[in-house]
Amino acid sequence: MRKIVRSSSICLCILTMALAMGASAWAQASAPAVSLTTKELAAAAAQAPTTADLAQGDPSGTKTGTATNIPVSNPKVGLTLADTANQVGQNQIAINFVWTLVTGFLVMFMQAGFAMVESGLCRVKNSNHTYMMNFVVYGCGLFAYWLLGFAIQMGGAAGVANLGGLQPLAVEHAISLFGKSWGLFGGTGYFLSGHTYDVGVMVIFLFEMVFMDTALTIVTGACAERWKFLAFAVSSFIMGAVTYPLYGNWAWGGGWLAQLGSNLHLGAGYADFAGSGVVHAVGGITALAVSMIVGPRIGKFNSDGTSNSIIGHDISAVMVGCFILAFGWFGFNPGSTLGASAAGNLRIGTIAVDTMLAGCTGTFGALLYMWMKNGKVDASMSGNGLLAGLVAITAPSGFVNTVGACIIGLIAGVLVCLSCSFVENFMKVDDPVGAVSVHGTCGLWGVLSVGLFADGTGMGSVRGLFYGDPSQLVAQLVGISTLIGFIFTFSFLVNLAIDVFVGQRVSVESEIGGLDLPEMGQLGYPEFVYRPEPEFMQHAEAKYGVTSSVFAS
Amino acid sequence: MAANRSQGRYYTLFLVASIVLCAGLYDYSGGMGKLLLIVGAVGLVASLLGMMRIKPLEGRTALKPGPGFMKLVGAGVCALGWVITLFGLHMTSSMGGRLVLALVGISVSLFGIVVVLPAAFNKNAVWKA
Repeated sequence: MRKIVRSSSICLCILTMALAMGASAWAQASAPAVSLTTKELAAAAAQAPTTADLAQGDPSGTKTGTATNIPVSNPKVGLTLADTANQVGQNQIAINFVWTLVTGFLVMFMQAGFAMVESGLCRVKNSNHTYMMNFVVYGCGLFAYWLLGFAIQMGGAAGVANLGGLQPLAVEHAISLFGKSWGLFGGTGYFLSGHTYDVGVMVIFLFEMVFMDTALTIVTGACAERWKFLAFAVSSFIMGAVTYPLYGNWAWGGGWLAQLGSNLHLGAGYADFAGSGVVHAVGGITALAVSMIVGPRIGKFNSDGTSNSIIGHDISAVMVGCFILAFGWFGFNPGSTLGASAAGNLRIGTIAVDTMLAGCTGTFGALLYMWMKNGKVDASMSGNGLLAGLVAITAPSGFVNTVGACIIGLIAGVLVCLSCSFVENFMKVDDPVGAVSVHGTCGLWGVLSVGLFADGTGMGSVRGLFYGDPSQLVAQLVGISTLIGFIFTFSFLVNLAIDVFVGQRVSVESEIGGLDLPEMGQLGYPEFVYRPEPEFMQHAEAKYGVTSSVFAS
Repeated sequence: MAANRSQGRYYTLFLVASIVLCAGLYDYSGGMGKLLLIVGAVGLVASLLGMMRIKPLEGRTALKPGPGFMKLVGAGVCALGWVITLFGLHMTSSMGGRLVLALVGISVSLFGIVVVLPAAFNKNAVWKA
């Protein structure tokens, strides 16, 4: 009997709950649509705290920000629905503007990280010169980009809804091939004047400019300790004005790589979310071209082809610089949504976590590889591993899940160690900071990884080979081919011409004595007593007849 | 010779000429555009020639001249790889075919970068002596 009562009670409860839920659902389904009337808006404005109320202070934050703060187009009519809707739209764009600007400021701060890493990995006699290259590249790049680069890259980039449409950027020069139109370069935005004197255009200019400067500063690391300052200044200017913007247009400015999806059905077209290819590979590949032309530092290679380690002067600066760069990367990748408020932009959380995870596994990849290979944990390679992971996740960060990010970072961490060895020992290219491997090799790996690991849930529904779309992989390979086939060749020829006109390399005397005095006129660390390195003096005396007297001058 | 006043002067000319050149591009269809373009281009050439004139004063560098033709061949091979990839996109519409041709193009470019160019630059390298 007791069992029957218990069962009946349970059934009754379930029935009551079901009826209640059903009634609730019915009530929701049949509820009349609520529409806000102008009268209600006026009432809301009337109920808002008065000036006298606000004068009492608002410690709980419940009185500040009400209907009275919405600008009214006609004071006689008062607050209308149109006013409210316009304010909602402006709020969305304002959130996106602030997000994009703040993340741009974070990327700008990465210049400090690059300066510390590069200078720390160079000898003390070249510290001022290396810091100055990192400092001046900011101005060179910014000025060139304002004059010409932005117009080439983003002159045809209209249609960015997150920033209000960017309609003034509406001129993309294109050619017609095989019945399709292919964008080549933009044509509006010189000097940010004319119609491009526009709030949205200013925001995208700032954000794209700091990305461009990141690419430029990569080259200074690979060519450190022997690059003539004048040649560096000319080369950086041209890279900021032409080389970087060209590829930037093709990938991000509505150019032909971005059109591979619509024109040739290759996935979603070339996809590079935050710039493994556009920023890092362009910088790394140009660094390779210039460092080939500049040649290796005196004493780097022996006559039998073996190489010598040239130890940097400040590993603490290197490690702090790496952390600054990792911090700035939170602007680099999440900021590339160009907004925090609109459909899909809440992906910024995933992008930030992907970024930090890839940096973590990249560090582990390099650290463990070097530990197992040499028996010691290599600090500078661990730092490079962190950067390699971050570089590699830059392109896929908007398209992959956290497991994919970990795998991409781990592979990048090992890859950077192998690549550094290959560039130095096989190609005989001297790269004091490993910039070619960190940014070039791992940048290309990042571009490729989009075609493999993109899971279709992220921005633009990009789907890679492992998630069922081989055509995206082809689009990524076309991008890689363009980077190493076109960008490398273009950068190489431009810098070969600069070598003819300007001369890329400093004199033997300057190089042996250190570039701080001859190029900058001031030592980086004037209170240090510089001790000539005996092994390099042997090279200098045997091959160039330079003696230690250069230090007296 | 190290950094000096002449370098500073020619770089200033380079920057000013670049501004004028870009102003010409901006106003190309206007009345002054073409004139500015020509003046800017002349200024750029003058700055580069000036830099070339003072280049020998730099003194000896730790580089020996390498085979220039071989360097250009290396750059040509590199560019050829890109051309192969691009034409591959139009030669076939099959995804497999495009994939293979893109990989062939990348391999050709890498051959130019990794094999031909280092051979050109290292042929007369100072460190070999």
